[in-house]
Amino acid sequence: MAVEARKIETPTPVPVVPGRPRSGLVTTALLAPPLLWLGVFFLVPVVLIFLYSVNVFSFFPGEQAFTLDAWKNFLDGSPFLDLFWKSIRMSLIVSVVAVVAAYPIAYYIALVASKRKYVLLLLILAPFLVSYFLRILAWKVILGDQGVINSFLFWTGLRDEGDPVSWLLYSQFAVILTLIYVYVPFVALPIFASLESLDRRLLEAASDLGASRWQAFRKVTLPLSMPGVIAGFIFVFIPTIGEYFTPLLVGGVDGTMFGIAIADQFGQSLNWLNGSVLSFFLLVVVAVLMSIFARFLTVRRVATD
Amino acid sequence: MATPAMDIAVSRNGKRVLNVWFGILLVFLYTPLGLLLLFSFNDNNLPVFPLRGFTTQAYQDFAANPELRASVVTSAKIAAVASLVAVVLGVLASIVLVRRRVVGKGAASALLLSPLVVPYIALAIGLLVFFNEVSLPLGFPTLVMGHVVLAIPYTILILVPRLERLDVRLEEAARDLGAGALQTFRLITFPLLLPALVSAYIVAFVLSFDEIVVASFVNGDTTTFPLYLFSQLRFPTLLPQVIAVACVVMALSVLLLIGAEIGRRVVERRLGADLAAPPAGGEA
Repeated sequence: MAVEARKIETPTPVPVVPGRPRSGLVTTALLAPPLLWLGVFFLVPVVLIFLYSVNVFSFFPGEQAFTLDAWKNFLDGSPFLDLFWKSIRMSLIVSVVAVVAAYPIAYYIALVASKRKYVLLLLILAPFLVSYFLRILAWKVILGDQGVINSFLFWTGLRDEGDPVSWLLYSQFAVILTLIYVYVPFVALPIFASLESLDRRLLEAASDLGASRWQAFRKVTLPLSMPGVIAGFIFVFIPTIGEYFTPLLVGGVDGTMFGIAIADQFGQSLNWLNGSVLSFFLLVVVAVLMSIFARFLTVRRVATD
Repeated sequence: MATPAMDIAVSRNGKRVLNVWFGILLVFLYTPLGLLLLFSFNDNNLPVFPLRGFTTQAYQDFAANPELRASVVTSAKIAAVASLVAVVLGVLASIVLVRRRVVGKGAASALLLSPLVVPYIALAIGLLVFFNEVSLPLGFPTLVMGHVVLAIPYTILILVPRLERLDVRLEEAARDLGAGALQTFRLITFPLLLPALVSAYIVAFVLSFDEIVVASFVNGDTTTFPLYLFSQLRFPTLLPQVIAVACVVMALSVLLLIGAEIGRRVVERRLGADLAAPPAGGEA
């Protein structure tokens, strides 16, 4: 699905064609529809969420009155805040493991495999073409008490029939494993792109000046591939903080995450006030993280097409 | 001492280690999918070992399931409309981002690309609240509106690099020869951009067809394909059917994307390297 996607774009100069006279109006006309679409269906909803979170808007008519109570409750050591930190912890594990697992792969494809480079890259990226839902479902089928692993253990007699390895599914482990599975190819792509654009003559120069392979890697390759590493990291870390379907399918109680809590507030609990606080908090966290990381993304685009 | 560049990147042993790691990762990536495929042909209502025998029952069952077929059609319609809108909006935005000087370009592109990183749950909740506030009934139109938001950044990421590679002098030549802006777009830019437009359309289509988080909040009574699959998970005996459908969709989307990629390359080659400006980045 996203073979060509998730490249990083930071607002640095793009080659600009000298503007023609009267082009201001045309530019506005061109840019207005896409900006309007995102304004109406993304920015306005974000503002609405904020207004709901301070009770200026309310799901039940007649209850509107500005108050910060929901925010105070949330920030004052509520279980939701604990759940948020748990989600951050899980996302951190996922993104760090994904980066560490993907880096050698990207390195191998970009710098070692010479001719079959793009075939190997395609092999790593191909699982992307498989439905997200299906990839999660696969792990549910594999990890369950009656799942592939346990039934295999029963069958081979390694484990008694009534005594499955039950921490495999509906646990933090299951969520973390599944998320790593989903995101590893994603991380490999930007790292590959940054290694691919590395000037090999720098490595030769390092070698000529007496650097060992390890020194060359540590002083030249690794620093130059950092934009790719950071891009890969944030493109896993940020979306997974609010992960919803993976914990829903394989998380159970132990593996539940912040995104599930948000959905619950708008679904079963019908507490839009509280749910809006959680949602807006998540949006603020995302915005802060993006602004922190954006300055590290010095490359204009980590693209491979 | 032979091939010095190779030597610096990796030692003989290092290469071995990397080879093994690459193999392990491939096993990790493909085993779950292979197992799903295996169990979709297993003669058992539950995906468990030992395997009992080969059957295509699950495939026949889903082919005869009207609800499931209806959900596929619904998703295809939503994806068809949403990706068309997303590509049109994506082209407009990309042209401005690449070809025009405009104040606040950074902010504009940040906004246009932000759905890439914002967790889908937050987008979904925002849309739910918004549609509720404007009293828009949830259903087909709201699903399209949401999916367009998600797809726009992907279309831009595909179109911008292509536009950058198109030689701007071709457009200028057309203008100098008296073509209007629209005429230039229709006769020069559009045909040259067509392969990328097709790529963008397909990626947006697959994204929408596959999308489940936003869909589960703004669907109303409409059942999309992923939502149907999800609802069937409550009945464990239907699992083989769900797996079978998923396998078929997997195969189709792989074929579609590979076909599109081949098509794109053929067309681009035919358009000729001499027409395009030198590639800006590495050629995939």
